Formats: sequence, C-alpha cells, structure tokens
Amino acid sequence: MSSPRDPVEITVGYRALGNNALPGLQDRLEKRTVQPKEGDAPPWDANTQFAYVGTDVDRVDGLAKATGRAKYSYDITFPGLLQAMILRSPVAKGKLTGLLLDEAKGMPGIAAVVPLKEIGHQVRFVGDALAAVAGTTLHAVRDAIERIRADIAAEEHNVDYIVADKAPQLGDGGQIDEPWPESKDNEIEQALGTAAVQHTATYRVEVQTHSSLETHGGVAKWNGNDLEIWLSTQATFGVRGELARALQGKGLDVGSVTLHAEYVGGGFGSKFSAGIEGLAVCLLAHAAKAPVKLMLDRFEEHTTTGNRPGALMQARAGVDKDGKIVAWDWRSFGHGGFTGSGGSVAVPNYYTGAAKVRRDHKELVIDTDPPRPMRAPGHPQGWFGAELFLDELAAKAGIDPLEFRLRNDAEAIRLDQWRFGAARFGWDKGRAHQNAPGARLLRGVGLSSARWGNLGNQGRPPHGITCRIHQDGTVESRSGAQDIGVGLKTVMAIVTAEELGITPGHVKATTGHTSDPSGPASGGSMVTPSLAPAVRHAAFLAKQALVEMVAKHLGVPMSEVQCKGGKVGAGTAQLSWADACKLIGPNPIDERGTRQANYDSKPFHPTQCGAQFAEVEIDRATGVVRVLRMFGIQDCGLVIAKKQAESQVLGAMIQGVSYAIHEQRIMDKRSGRMLNGDFLRYKVTGTQDLPELACHMHSIANGHDSVGAAGLGEPPSVASAAAIANAVFHALGTPVRHLPITPDKVLAALASKKG
Amino acid sequence: MTVPSDRGVSRRSFLKGSAVAGIATTGLTAAANAAAPSKPDTFGPGEHEITLLVNGKERKVKVETRTTLLDALRDGLDLTGAKKICDRGSCGGCTVLMDGEAITGCLMLAMDAVGHSLQTIESLSDGDKVHPLVQNFVHCDAMQCGFCTPGMVMSSLACLQKRGKPTEAQMRSDLSGNICRCGTYGRVMEAIGKTAGGGK
Repeated sequence: MSSPRDPVEITVGYRALGNNALPGLQDRLEKRTVQPKEGDAPPWDANTQFAYVGTDVDRVDGLAKATGRAKYSYDITFPGLLQAMILRSPVAKGKLTGLLLDEAKGMPGIAAVVPLKEIGHQVRFVGDALAAVAGTTLHAVRDAIERIRADIAAEEHNVDYIVADKAPQLGDGGQIDEPWPESKDNEIEQALGTAAVQHTATYRVEVQTHSSLETHGGVAKWNGNDLEIWLSTQATFGVRGELARALQGKGLDVGSVTLHAEYVGGGFGSKFSAGIEGLAVCLLAHAAKAPVKLMLDRFEEHTTTGNRPGALMQARAGVDKDGKIVAWDWRSFGHGGFTGSGGSVAVPNYYTGAAKVRRDHKELVIDTDPPRPMRAPGHPQGWFGAELFLDELAAKAGIDPLEFRLRNDAEAIRLDQWRFGAARFGWDKGRAHQNAPGARLLRGVGLSSARWGNLGNQGRPPHGITCRIHQDGTVESRSGAQDIGVGLKTVMAIVTAEELGITPGHVKATTGHTSDPSGPASGGSMVTPSLAPAVRHAAFLAKQALVEMVAKHLGVPMSEVQCKGGKVGAGTAQLSWADACKLIGPNPIDERGTRQANYDSKPFHPTQCGAQFAEVEIDRATGVVRVLRMFGIQDCGLVIAKKQAESQVLGAMIQGVSYAIHEQRIMDKRSGRMLNGDFLRYKVTGTQDLPELACHMHSIANGHDSVGAAGLGEPPSVASAAAIANAVFHALGTPVRHLPITPDKVLAALASKKG
Repeated sequence: MTVPSDRGVSRRSFLKGSAVAGIATTGLTAAANAAAPSKPDTFGPGEHEITLLVNGKERKVKVETRTTLLDALRDGLDLTGAKKICDRGSCGGCTVLMDGEAITGCLMLAMDAVGHSLQTIESLSDGDKVHPLVQNFVHCDAMQCGFCTPGMVMSSLACLQKRGKPTEAQMRSDLSGNICRCGTYGRVMEAIGKTAGGGK
C-alpha cells in the first residue's frame, strides 16, 4: 500500500467500451498524477481489479421493499396517532378575508385545527393551503374540514402561459411570431447569411407532474420540547434545518429535531422542502399534544407539490456546405407558476462550439402551483426542442441525423457512444426503412444526446459516513442522507465491501436518520458521487484499525497486511474475517470518514455523456404512437452498483416515453383547477405502453477523487423524449413540435402534410 | 365570495354514500343513530367491529361503514405493505388477493370483505423464508423506490396463479393496472418469467 501522501500516477479513461468492443473504437486511456489528501484512501483507476464494484449485486434493501416490511413515512404509526388533512383554496387568485375555525374545532374526534394562511394574505393558486385539521380518523377530519368557513375575495386569474403577460405573439401554426432582436454586432445575422441552409421553428412542451407514488407528508411526534419527524423527503438535513427555523417560536432549535426518512417513495425533485404539509403536521402535533400523520392525497400531490413546467422554445440556425452549424439562435419562454421563476430551459452546447450562439429565456407568471426541479430540470424540454430542430436542420441539409451529430458533436466520449449505440441499435437499417405507400402502420427511428455534469462535492462542512466493524464480523455503513430509490444503500455496501475485502452481504447500510453523519440532498445527481468517496474513506480508516490489531496479533508488519477475499493477513499468516474481528473488543471499531475535495488535477471528463435511440410505430388511422424499442448508453464515471444503475437508466427511458407521448396537466381556464389531477385521467406510462428496452453502462475511470463516480439520476432522462420525437418525425415525414405527441397532434400533422 | 370546503364534493364521499345505500338494500339495516344498541347485523354510523380472514388468520378490526379495506388493513391491522397511492383504484399500489383474485383494497369497503379469504404481501415472507417471486423481484432489481413494489408483487402473484406460465402479453395485461413511477416494469416482468420458469 503506497502512502497516500505521495502524488500517485493513475490511469483514467476507458477501454473500448468494456466487453462490447466494436471495430473502429479505441481505448481512451490517459495518465494523470493526482495528489490525494493526507489520510485518504489511494485512488481507484482504470487498472484497479474490483471484486464487487461494477458487478451485479442485489439491492441490499430489496427484500425489505419486496416483502412490504420497509416502513415509509406513510407507514409509520403510534398508539393514539391522529390523522390530518389540509383545507385548500378552490379559488386560483384572491385575498383571504375570513377563516372561521370554531365549528370544526368542536366536531367529534377533532384534536387540533390550525390556520395556515393569515387573513388579508393572497391566495395564489387552486390548492393553496388555508388551514389544517387533526383528529382521530380521516373520516372525522374530513367531516370537520367541511365545517371550516373560508372567505376569499376572488380576483381575475390566468392559468394559461400561452396568454400570460409577456408571452410572445403566436402565429396560426403556433409558431412564435415576433421578430428576433438584433444580435450584438449583428454576428448571428451575418453567420446565418453565410449558411448554405437555414431553418427556424417553434417547439412547445406541456406541464408534467412529478407524480411520486408516496405523496408528500409524514408523521410528527413531540417529546416535550424535542421534535421527531418521519417525512417523505429527499433532503433530510435541509428539511430538518428548515423546520427548526420555522418552529423557533415553539422553543425548538435544530439540535432538538430528529428527522427520519429511511425509505422514501420517490421524489424526482419535488421533495427538497418540508412544504406546508411538513410544517402543518408539526404544528398540529404540537397543538394536539399527540403524534399526527398528514399525507397528501393524489389531487394535492398533482396540484400543490411542483411540476416540470411548460415552455415555448424557438430556434433559428444555419449550417455550412460541410454540414457544420455556423449560427444558433435560441429563445425560450417558461412559466414559473405564481412565483415567476423555475421555468428555465437548458439546451445542448456541444454541437455549436464553432458557431455564433445566442440564448435568451424569459419567465412568465401564471396563477398555478410553481414548478419544482424535476429530474434534469429544464433539460428534457430543451433537448426535445433542440434535438428535433437538429433533425429538421439535417433533413433540410440532406444529411443523416447520426452523421449530422458526428460532424458537430464536440465531445469525444459521445462520438464513441454514437457509433457504439448506432451499431447496437441497428440505426442504418432502421433509418433505411421505407414505409410502403398507403401503409397504415408507419415506422421510424430517432436519436438524441444526453449530458449532465456532476462529479460530487465535498459539502460544507464535509459530508461524512460512519463505518463500524463489530466483534461478530458484521459491518455497518451509515449515512444521514436519504436513499430515494437510486440504490445508495447498495452503493455503500459495495464500496465498503470492496475496501474491506468482504462480501456486500456482510455490510448493513443505513440511510435517512439525521442522527447519522450529514450528506447532500438527492438533487442534481449529487449523492453517489458526493458520498461514495466518504464511504470509502470511512471503510479505509476502519480497515487500518483492524489491520493494526491483526498485525500485532500475527506479529507481521502492518504495511504488509491486506484485507482480501474474506481474509486478513500477510503472506501465509492469514486470519479469516470472523477470526480477525474477534480481536475487536466489545466496543466496535467506529470510524468517521469524510468527503475530501475533488483532486486539483483535471478529471478524465468533467461532464457525463449519453446517447439514446428509439423506434416508433404510428397508426395512421388513429394517430396513436407506440414506442417499440429503445437503446441507451450512459456514462456516470465509475459504475459501482451495476444492476441499480441500469434500473435508473431504464426507468428514465420509461419516464421519457411518458413525457413524450402521455403526460400533460390539463387546466380548466375558468376555475383555474387541474382537470386531470388523478391517475385515471393523468396518464402515466404502464406495462401496455412499455417498449423493449436495453441499456449499456459506460463505466469510466474519471480520476477526480478516490472513487471516481459521477452523477446518474438526471442524465439518462435528458434524451428519451427527444429521441422519440425524432423517431416520430422520421415515421411521419413531418415533425410534431408539441409534447406530448398525442393522437390529435399526429393526425393534424398527417393532415397538414397532405394539404 | 363564500367558499365551501373543496372536499365536500369529492368522488370518495359520493361513492361512500352510494355504498352505504347499497348495503341497506341488501338487507342490512343501518342503525338510526350511534347510541342505538348494535345487533350483529347492524352497521354504523360510527365504528363497528368486524372479523376479516387475513393470511389465514381471523383478525378483528374496528371500522366504519365507509372504511375501505385498504384503510382497515393499514390503520386497523398495521399491515402496511399495501400502499395508499391514488385511493381511486387507478394505480394498483394496494393490490391484495381476495379468494385468489387480485383486487384493489381502496375500492372495496372493509365490511364487504367479511367472509372472504384475503391475502396480503405480508404472507409471502416469514423471517428468512421468502416466496420465490419475492426473491426474483430482488434478484432482477424489479424496484427502485419500492413504493409500488408490494402491489406489483401481488398482481404478479395473481398473474402466476391464474396463468401458470404467462406470456408477455398476459403479463402486460395483468399488470396494466399497476403504476410504477420509477419505471421498473421490464424487470418486474422478468421476475415473473423467472418465477414461472422455476426461478434461477
């Protein structure tokens, strides 16, 4: 074991896409000299031989989930637990002029009623919280909540962003019909003037809701002045601090709040805040002097906990005679609900490095629940617009969409992925397919890139992990951060096992209790890259403590002792893991690992690349789009938990199908209320819509810290809808520029093509 | 303007009203008020003790006429494997088997389940002993957040019991009422296939 204090030369990059090497692909390996922080584990690199990292390991909490034993916040109960609900505004905009709670307070079984909005304050959307009630059963609560009288002086509202203030003028075809402002030094216009081919088009996406299956909410229990709360959240520490600040008036400080979120039924970006429901359940439990459960119902979940906002996007661009993009002008209008923020749109920048580029975005205000970050915020929207625009541009220039990407994509990793994916998917054959004249079923293929950038962060103060080795040979790895389904516990077990030379089954990984070391929120694909090096550091420190005991026991130098294959020792002097751990006293080895800052040296690649391919079949008679199959290749730095990583990529593709052809929030303009706030009329992709899916995890030794993992949650969700939209364009011969691609839009596109 | 509560006109209370009416017409007498002495065949208003046959055991639980089977299982018997996700029969998260058929616990009143044999997710494991279907869910990684998983397992179990070796089309059909937001459908069907094929 080399001293981690010395600079270390490592090999970064990848071998020609693992065991799936294809002709023409090269190994991309480079040398780096890195400087690990004192006391940190030496870096893993492209030459490290792993026992478990990157292999198929069963999800460590899989059995708890599949047996129904896993207790989510929704499942927590106590003797005397009260149930609660929130009274919400049926009015989209107005002023609260009266709130009469007394009758509700006197109803049978009611223990507490608290106002959530002050008289005179604005009501901002249908679903804005007014008051909350706790009682012995939900029936009693529902009966009581009907007796609250809320007076609201209603004002004129608007829930349609297309006609919001500052929304652009639209032409008959729905295209943005406003002149482009002149660019600086007229450079965009000049570049467009040199182009061999020019194109402009408008794109539009509708609102998608997060639709986490476990709704927001939780259980609160006061123990004297201390608060214990089980909350469905993706930010244990952030929410704990938020609640402590909000409840200062109840004599609370952050040290007296314990938050639990061991199992969380999805979040996708909607669960970063305690929310009004998190605050309400604490207030009710305080007032009732009893534990209270408050979980939102499905309508509240759809209408009050955020969404992926709608947007209008317009592009104009030109390519030269070699098929290179020379100008790229882009503007978008997103809506932020009543806050007027959060509606932004992201677009790929790696196709336009050589072009004159301009981007502009404006936020619109409407009287609805504001957006919250949703899995790659802004990206699926923008990639849909930009990648479909690229295909239209390529078609005008007479270039195959794949070839067009190869000519313009500046990222070498993705150039490999394009070629690999195209061969695996059968791009050339799919693209060559000609729909017979008059055929009812039309087929087409499309593709899209994906990109994200998260190599993890150290945290301030640094994120931590506890690793304990017990006398009986069991090992604990503990984080106070939450596992919202990505497989963090499995990552912790694998990294710990790898470091200690034991099986992942030896390691009990625990997440989601704020009594354990702090970690990041589950946002921006941050958790695994931020925590994996801390997990490893904790295991590395615990290993050193064990090695010291074993070396002393065997009479061998510490520097020669290794933990490998379930044994601890040097040369022929070996102890089994169980025997080695017997040297530990009744108190376990208990080490706290910390996340070090990323190395100063250049990582192999600062962002994560991906590419996806889709094939669709469209019924010309009904306009129904079926996604037949998809293939995705995704880089996330070092792949740690392969099965769980694949699950995330496959799941992102299914969410992409849903976004592309199914999901949209439909608002009633008159009442301002969502018309399809359930799962009957808000369509989420199910088994009958499931395409044949395959993915390839493109593992890369990135060399940015001792592990080299990068983010995975968001990147695969960037490309899917765009790839499907491009396949629809191929099948129809005309683009559908408005998501979701529902039958009415397909039929309209076919009709306009005829006409 | 004066605003009545938004909850007064929900489909739920409408449904529950009709369900109570339906019971009255089947010969059960609704008590005039809560204070009246309850006869064994008299239900509500207020709570009433019923006996449910759950996982082979008789379990007593207090319910109102309007209490759903799902709420009785979760809140009355602490069988929290079945999840409340949509509460409208549109997501499959609360799937349990009644006399071997998959039903959604949120669409049935608890008292209507009296006299039937109920099977919940909790019956598929006993300590370390686990049903092969559950084992294959784990092995195929047929879950992410896991909140839909118990419902998926129960729908899959019904599919296997009904079909033996289901085709892919049969699996898609039998699971079409189960929503998974994380997107695990493919691996769920893989787990069913593995179980039907004897498991690996």
